[in-house]
Amino acid sequence: MDPTGVVYLAVVGIAYAVYWRKSPAKSRKALGAGAKSFTGILPTLIAVFGLVGLFDVFVPPALIERWMGSSSGVLSLVVGTGLGSIAAGPPAAAYPIAATLLKGGASTPAVAAFIVSWVLVGFVSLPMESKVFGVRFAVLRNGLSMLAAALIGLAMGVVL
Amino acid sequence: MTTTTSKQSLVGILKSYRLVLSVVALYGVAAINSPERAYHAASVAVKTFAGVAPIIVAVFAGLGLVQVFIDKQAMARHLGDRAGLPALLMAAAAGTILVGPVFVVFPLLKTMRDHGVSWAIITTALTAWAVKLPMVPLEVTFLGWRFSIARMTLTLIASVAMGSLMGRLMAEEPNAMTPTAESDTA
Repeated sequence: MDPTGVVYLAVVGIAYAVYWRKSPAKSRKALGAGAKSFTGILPTLIAVFGLVGLFDVFVPPALIERWMGSSSGVLSLVVGTGLGSIAAGPPAAAYPIAATLLKGGASTPAVAAFIVSWVLVGFVSLPMESKVFGVRFAVLRNGLSMLAAALIGLAMGVVL
Repeated sequence: MTTTTSKQSLVGILKSYRLVLSVVALYGVAAINSPERAYHAASVAVKTFAGVAPIIVAVFAGLGLVQVFIDKQAMARHLGDRAGLPALLMAAAAGTILVGPVFVVFPLLKTMRDHGVSWAIITTALTAWAVKLPMVPLEVTFLGWRFSIARMTLTLIASVAMGSLMGRLMAEEPNAMTPTAESDTA
């Protein structure tokens, strides 16, 4: 087993032990809240890891290379940003997919743009955002966020 | 996820598991066409999941702590206090530790807006929310430290830039919703 997982578990365990002495009721509530988000996300995670397996075996690297590879330049940024904007789901699901894309030959900028637009842009949640903040805000924010995702991707390519 | 309805309908179950069901269907198709490769895919899936399962559990347990011990309402009250760049930086910091699903975070920020907090601050907090600090252990496992740190730093910079830009773009909004209109933040 991966030792880092054990380390994280230990750290969180200690944090709980500390807070438990301070406030058992709130700690219990925290554990409940964590468990609730976990069980809520679990079906999605199972599906995503299932997809990662299929992806790994069935999607030819040449395909990823062509659409998201570093030789594809601007296209790879557009594809990364677009995929991330359409995809809706918890960020926890984005990382394994991103890792698979990287392994398949996608460029760092494309994958970074994919992750950033995944968490920042939500085509699916656009109606809800419009209802809460107004159409103008929602459209402007999502549009600018797509631009930001592509720019962050570009910058990541320079930094890494 | 299913707190509102005590009795879950079949449609509801199908809906919340539609992604799982589609993936199962995909595996079915794969197994018919090429059993060995389907088996290989499944073993990759199980191995990847098993490798990160302890980290996922730790992340969500930690998420619970952050959710309960950080007072979102108090944070929202403090954000309205400042103006200019310090306000945006504070909004970025607040957004970074903000945890919760869309249907909690959106209404919270909307409430702040209704209390006269500028669009610049709302946008900065919303953008910095994308940093997803509690998820970092998971990100590092899959993409590495350098990737994670660079992405977070750039997202924070983007949050302040987006905030001041949106503050300007939203300033000419025709209907002023509150008597305490836009202060000279942006």
